[in-house]
Amino acid sequence: MRILIVEDEGRLAENIARSLRESAGYAVDIATDGEDGLFMAESNEYDAILLDLMLPHVNGLELLSQMRKRGKRTPVLVVTARDDKESVVSLLNAGADDYVTKPFDLGELLARTKALIRRGKGQPSPVLSIGDLELNTVNRTVLRGGHAVVLTAMEYRVLEYLLHRPRAVISKTELLEHLYDYNWEKFSNVIEVYISGLRRKLDQGRSKPLIHTIRGHGYMLQD
Amino acid sequence: MKWNSIRTRLIAIVVLSQTILAAGLLLTGIYYTQWRLLSTLDASMQARAMSVAALVRYTEDDSGNVYFDNTLMPASIDPAHPDLFAIWTENSGLLAHSPNWPQGLNIAPQGKNHWRFKWAHVHYRGLRVFQTPILDREEGNNFHPQTLTVFYAAPLIQLDQQVKAAGVYIAAWSLLLLCATVLLAIWGIRRGLLPLQTLADQAALVSTSNWQLHLAKDQEQVEELRPLIESMKTMLSRLERSFAQQKEFIGNAAHELKTPLTVVKSTLQSLSQKPRSAEEYRSGLEQSLEDLQRLEQLLQWMLRLARAEQWAHGALRRDLPVVDVTSTCEDAVERVRPLAQERGVAIQLAKDGQLPRKADPEDLQLVWTNLLENAIRYGVGSPSIEMTVSRVDGRIARIAVQDFGPGIAPEELPHIFERFYRGDPSRNRATGGYGLGLAIVKALVEAYGGTIIAESSPGTGTRITVDLPIDQAQSSQ
Repeated sequence: MRILIVEDEGRLAENIARSLRESAGYAVDIATDGEDGLFMAESNEYDAILLDLMLPHVNGLELLSQMRKRGKRTPVLVVTARDDKESVVSLLNAGADDYVTKPFDLGELLARTKALIRRGKGQPSPVLSIGDLELNTVNRTVLRGGHAVVLTAMEYRVLEYLLHRPRAVISKTELLEHLYDYNWEKFSNVIEVYISGLRRKLDQGRSKPLIHTIRGHGYMLQD
Repeated sequence: MKWNSIRTRLIAIVVLSQTILAAGLLLTGIYYTQWRLLSTLDASMQARAMSVAALVRYTEDDSGNVYFDNTLMPASIDPAHPDLFAIWTENSGLLAHSPNWPQGLNIAPQGKNHWRFKWAHVHYRGLRVFQTPILDREEGNNFHPQTLTVFYAAPLIQLDQQVKAAGVYIAAWSLLLLCATVLLAIWGIRRGLLPLQTLADQAALVSTSNWQLHLAKDQEQVEELRPLIESMKTMLSRLERSFAQQKEFIGNAAHELKTPLTVVKSTLQSLSQKPRSAEEYRSGLEQSLEDLQRLEQLLQWMLRLARAEQWAHGALRRDLPVVDVTSTCEDAVERVRPLAQERGVAIQLAKDGQLPRKADPEDLQLVWTNLLENAIRYGVGSPSIEMTVSRVDGRIARIAVQDFGPGIAPEELPHIFERFYRGDPSRNRATGGYGLGLAIVKALVEAYGGTIIAESSPGTGTRITVDLPIDQAQSSQ
């Protein structure tokens, strides 16, 4: 999963980013003003955007409504200092999906972000499953046929992304887009390495494989 | 009776004026009726006196004596109260009188020919006619003809009754008309004041979420209400603006206060999420401390602003010492000198003697240091900053701070004194400003009864001028 944080207070953005990376294994980009934020939100594929309202150049509400006007459907979690009904209503009406008020709890922010991503992909439950494969997004554990499977951080991220959209063909480019932040060099062959790792740990010695390669298109999870 | 009600007052005025009108009408009516009746009575009395005088005849001899022939006396109009009369002749005095003639009646009060008197509980009107000739003419008589003085009086009972009846009649109609006009007036006033009621109803709908006064077109055209509606609208728009500003300030303040708090909280939470190295803990704690210091500083600025604004609204302390404005400027220049040296900026101070006034020297120094620091921070590239202290008209201290930096864009200039306004937020946050400095300066200057203006043109620099009234009595010493 790849998240964009638009926040002008650099230290706060870093703290949130660190927490998202460490506790959820998300790739995180940071924009420190509204203009950059809008550009990044439009030029990259994010699974969720955390947006501060008071921003230099282009303020949060403006960014949000411009983004929505241009058809971006990325779920947006607004971080605001104001919790009066009026401003909450106005930001939800501008196209925000949820909000937290400062000073917020990092744990709550994380949980809300996860919920937002799930909802954005049509998955209501925090436990994702297909066949006898189960992935718990809260404590980040994977079970296959009731047995725990130990994955590397990157393997988990690939599987989590695939499981959010089961039975859909997902290209390597899409995986790269959603698994790495802005600062990473993206090489498509690393995806093949993670997929083969996952295959080895999940499908080896089973009669029905879950991970399918659709040649020329990408990968698909199917039972 | 509610005397603080316009409607009651108007109705009272109408009732009062109508009552006066009715009373006036009644009096005039009675007076006029009486006058008409009296003049008719007078004419008829004159005639009756003449007919009585016609009964005086000469005797058949040539003596020229007269007698009163009462066989031809006409009957009285009112038998219960017959008329009174008496006739005097030139030669022989009282010749005849009516049977009910009151002896000793004063028949010439104040020499009038008509008068009113009361006798035997009855009001009479008296008439006196002098030098009436005797009608009886004996042909060929050679004596000198006599003249008569006739007194005649008729009772006023009937006349008084007629006047009374006319009075009652007029009074009854006046009362009826009074009632009708008062009812009409109440209805008219009620209707006339209806726009006021509508205005009040509409004004009651105004709230913090609806600042509009919705009135129908014809309502707004009511001449008497127009000034009120106009001033209400202006007041509402002013209120709306200041309410919006207040709301914006609260929003900004919440943001400015909560953000550093959130930073500290998130730093500490992120540190406690999993075991960290000693180095990570140390840097996290140092950061938090730094953020807390910033928060503390911001709080101080906000409190200072709140205090200055409170003073500006008339709560300035009275027990202030007299200080020299010029020396507070000197102190401020000394205070900012390290910063100026660090940035390579020279500060020039031009003075104009002592300028005493009552003030807290800390406040004045705060104003000057803020202006100087702003000039140093934002007048980037300005080789020097000029601070000029001068006296204007002997009663104003003018302090101008001029830099020769990039200046302020015309669209930003009107906003620089607003709370939390930052021309370029990212840059200003990097320089450590909160957008409160100039707001505090303005509030303090205004608290001391002064004015502040900013002039700037891009490329040539910015000049901020403060005018402070100084104590004339003190300065002449």
